[in-house]
Amino acid sequence: MAVPAARRRRGIRRAERLLGVVMLAPALLYIVLLVAVPFLLAVFLSLTNSSAGSLEFSFVGLQNFKNVMASPVFQRALRNTFTFTLISQVTVIFLGNVLARALLKRFRGKSLARFLILMPWAAPISLATLGWLWIFDSTFSVINWLLKVAGWLGPGQWYYWLGDPTLGMVAIITVHVWRMLPFSTVILLAGLTSIPNEVHEAADLDGAGPLGKTIWITIPMMLPILTVALLFGVVFTFTDMSVVYLLTRGGPYNSTHVLASLAFQDGVLGGDVGRGASVAIFLLPVLVILAVTMLRVSRRAEVA
Amino acid sequence: MHTRRSFLKGAVAATAAVAAGPTILVRDARAAGQLKILQWSHFVPAYDKWFDPWAKEWGSKHGVDVTVDHVGFADVVPRATAEVAAQSGHDIHMFLGLASAFEEHVIDLADVVTSLEKKYGKPVELARRSTYNPFTKKQFALSDMWVPDPGNYHKEVWTKIGMPNGPVTYDDLVKAAPEIKKVAPQMQIPIGVGLSQDIDSNMAVRNILWCHGGSIQDKDGNVVLNSPETLRALEYTKKLYSVGMTQAVLSWNAASNNQAFNAQETAYILNSISAYRTAQDNKLPVLENYFFTPALKGPTGIQLASEHVMSGYVVWKFSKNQDVAKEFLVALVDASRDSMLGSKLYNFPSFYGAAADPGTPPPKKQESGAAWIAAQCNKDPFGSAPADKLALLAKSLPWSTNLGYPGYANPAEGEMFDTYVITDMFAKAATGAMAPKDAMLEANTRARQIFDKWRAKKMVGGGGKDK
Repeated sequence: MAVPAARRRRGIRRAERLLGVVMLAPALLYIVLLVAVPFLLAVFLSLTNSSAGSLEFSFVGLQNFKNVMASPVFQRALRNTFTFTLISQVTVIFLGNVLARALLKRFRGKSLARFLILMPWAAPISLATLGWLWIFDSTFSVINWLLKVAGWLGPGQWYYWLGDPTLGMVAIITVHVWRMLPFSTVILLAGLTSIPNEVHEAADLDGAGPLGKTIWITIPMMLPILTVALLFGVVFTFTDMSVVYLLTRGGPYNSTHVLASLAFQDGVLGGDVGRGASVAIFLLPVLVILAVTMLRVSRRAEVA
Repeated sequence: MHTRRSFLKGAVAATAAVAAGPTILVRDARAAGQLKILQWSHFVPAYDKWFDPWAKEWGSKHGVDVTVDHVGFADVVPRATAEVAAQSGHDIHMFLGLASAFEEHVIDLADVVTSLEKKYGKPVELARRSTYNPFTKKQFALSDMWVPDPGNYHKEVWTKIGMPNGPVTYDDLVKAAPEIKKVAPQMQIPIGVGLSQDIDSNMAVRNILWCHGGSIQDKDGNVVLNSPETLRALEYTKKLYSVGMTQAVLSWNAASNNQAFNAQETAYILNSISAYRTAQDNKLPVLENYFFTPALKGPTGIQLASEHVMSGYVVWKFSKNQDVAKEFLVALVDASRDSMLGSKLYNFPSFYGAAADPGTPPPKKQESGAAWIAAQCNKDPFGSAPADKLALLAKSLPWSTNLGYPGYANPAEGEMFDTYVITDMFAKAATGAMAPKDAMLEANTRARQIFDKWRAKKMVGGGGKDK
């Protein structure tokens, strides 16, 4: 009787392994087909003179990289990518914290407040940006009209939100922060609610004030989830082109491009696939570092 | 032995076969005669209301199941890129002037053009230069229509400053701007010439460049952007920007100049008549002061404006319905009169002869077509007041040209257009972000890279005389 039992166990183990493979297969297939293959293709194309209207190409080595690195438009886009990511993520984490803490409290209309905070996350970005486009329109800006009525802007004074490189970046960062804030708030709210009340009560008994509790309890206990939220936001922001493309299309004079939008302009609109791929590939080292950090942090959080 | 049951079974089967037969035949016929067309969403929505039923009706007359899909003008090229990559999609794809980059993937339409030329005479030169590659000798597209790009001016404002017929030269814009500020201080942007990353600005800055004697390429495809003429055009624009424009023009999209003019926030824009038709449809207050001028003259005496839109229909090599597609394109040119009327005089026929009076002998068709076009413009059937408000459009051909002037609209010119190299050069020089000469040299470097790339692909000529 022992032999058939052992066989049965082995059979079950084999079946479980098979089931595991079957269950993982769709996810693996998805990653291979929609992430790994396009990524390897992008690396490959960046070394060619491939164009959008042709299936033929020849290898040009690192020529595309040499050309883009010498381009002032690319250099500006690279700087913008870091500025855009840094400022927007710091703002998102800060405001997300404020909102999450507010949502921890009991107050009237809390459900409505939650709904309103989450709305930007649910709204399609193309639709939302159209609204923002009117808000920041250089001729008909609602903000400007309000500032004019309020007396902030005198005769002949006007903010050209999308016509000025600096104001253009301000507008882009504003819309991106508006878009990312709900996600950050929800993540941070989950983190805050996961801190047991007993810990706070013990700190109260030890005489800790609000600042002390924040520094010694909240921040350390929130750190893993805070890092995950930040890293997710950074990766998302680094690779996003939608806000830039819909709001300024990289203008004025290509001064508000980020790498992703410049890659789209050169590779898809301009048809220079090789150049577009080489612009996009520039994100690779940064994204690899971020991905490794993200995996380590999430693993540490899992262990904790 | 046949029973009643077997007889009934046989009868039912026979009836079903007879009933299903035509369906099967019809299905086969439909499958053999399908045609999918990708078309832009016209700037004058009335055109789509004409085109879609017309295409369907043509299909039903010829036993072809016609499907028309519309995309915004900005999605025409990305959509083509996707279809080429997938090697499937529509049979006919409509480009707006710059189909040349896709030459390798489209069939040669020389036979279609030859047959149309026999019927109607030659197409307008700017259409030929936008659809034919002299380097590869391929007729890669067919143009059924082009759109003039006049100046739009605010009559009341320009009358107040002593120019009731609007500006005539580029210098007039510089002279008028300070005066407009005085008589119409409520207008935010006295002169609304776009310098942004959009289609209208792309046309506008080319007009300025050409009228100052400059160009991106010469007639043979050599890059000649680095020139004293380009520098003069940039210095002119810097001056115009400082006296008559604001940063708003750096952020405009394709609709912004229309909106600014229709809201009476600017006294001059460069645009086709689509904004005017919008003003008419919505009975806007600007309407009575909405007037047009021909292209402006530069200091060289050159008076040129880029076509505002130029259709370039291609038939993909991967299409399984190439013959039907060709027949459809011929029919579209045949319907040039209806097309012009359907677009409320926005579309001008590329084959003037196709608008001729019925029964006109072939040698007289171009003349007859031109007369019919002029008659429409001289007495606008769509309610202009005065009725001859659009009369200047009938004479727009001599001052209209193609992208790529004085050469052809080749893929390198297309990439220059789509990546905004020239608008950026003008915007940087105008705003002082770069010195005009530095902006020119930067754009020239990029132009040479782009042209060299396409020359390596053997799709663009020149190179020996690059500057």
